[in-house]
Amino acid sequence: MDFMFVCFATITVLGGMVVAFHPNIVHSAFALVAALFGVAGLYWTMGADFLGGLQVLLYVGGVTVLLLFAVMLTTRDSMRRSWARFVFWAPLAVGGVAVCLLRAYQGTLTTVGATGAQLTEPTPTTEVIGNMLLDPTGYLLVFETVAVLLLLVLIGAVTVARRGQESPS
Amino acid sequence: MIPTPMLATLEVASGSLAGSLSSYLVISGILFLLGLATILTRRNVLYVLMGTELILNAANINFVAFSRFGDYGMDGQMMTLVVIMLAAAEAAVALAIVLRIFHDFGTIDITRTDSLRN
Repeated sequence: MDFMFVCFATITVLGGMVVAFHPNIVHSAFALVAALFGVAGLYWTMGADFLGGLQVLLYVGGVTVLLLFAVMLTTRDSMRRSWARFVFWAPLAVGGVAVCLLRAYQGTLTTVGATGAQLTEPTPTTEVIGNMLLDPTGYLLVFETVAVLLLLVLIGAVTVARRGQESPS
Repeated sequence: MIPTPMLATLEVASGSLAGSLSSYLVISGILFLLGLATILTRRNVLYVLMGTELILNAANINFVAFSRFGDYGMDGQMMTLVVIMLAAAEAAVALAIVLRIFHDFGTIDITRTDSLRN
């Protein structure tokens, strides 16, 4: 499990670095695929099998294909970068994350293992997630709301992308 | 529904990378910083979207990690499920808007598309 964690973490971090620093946007988009797949692998090492599969289906298969289409439809030249904001914000961001991690080390976070409890062996999560999604006292309202929202997004995206392009009548 | 959390200090030296919360938090922090660097340095709006996806995934890793190591049940994984679905919706709408901006301005450089009308 350690080996798998190191592999997936390396894929994630390297992919993220290519996204952040590579000059070619198509290379960055494909590196984003690798980074998101690495995140799916990290879910699997944590025993979240359903979420890993969903990540591969939705992110790796869906969102990045959309992004690649948008890249091909819009980008003509690679644009130069603007480092001014980066120079100002980077130390603040690195410091903030470092402080958060330090607080995590020193603070009173609640974890299994620290209290003597052992990590349980991962079990299949699909059935549990399905039951929670359709449980009226659980996540049924969230589930239905997201369904309606996805319908609105479908119609809205088509409307926004096509406005002004339909033939005059 | 959420069990009473056990207050204790974070385990630091557990001897196993995949079995400790802190290693996942470090990976999540690195991914968040990379996404922030992408948003701050790039001028193509598609890069800003990619950086947003990286930051959302960093947050998702934290949710799943606390669900696995934090004795909070499955609620963290449900949050991640909702975030993934909303991120897909957000990407669809954002890319439609990008196509409109390209149609109207002829460019998607975020430093040059700064007028609402005229």
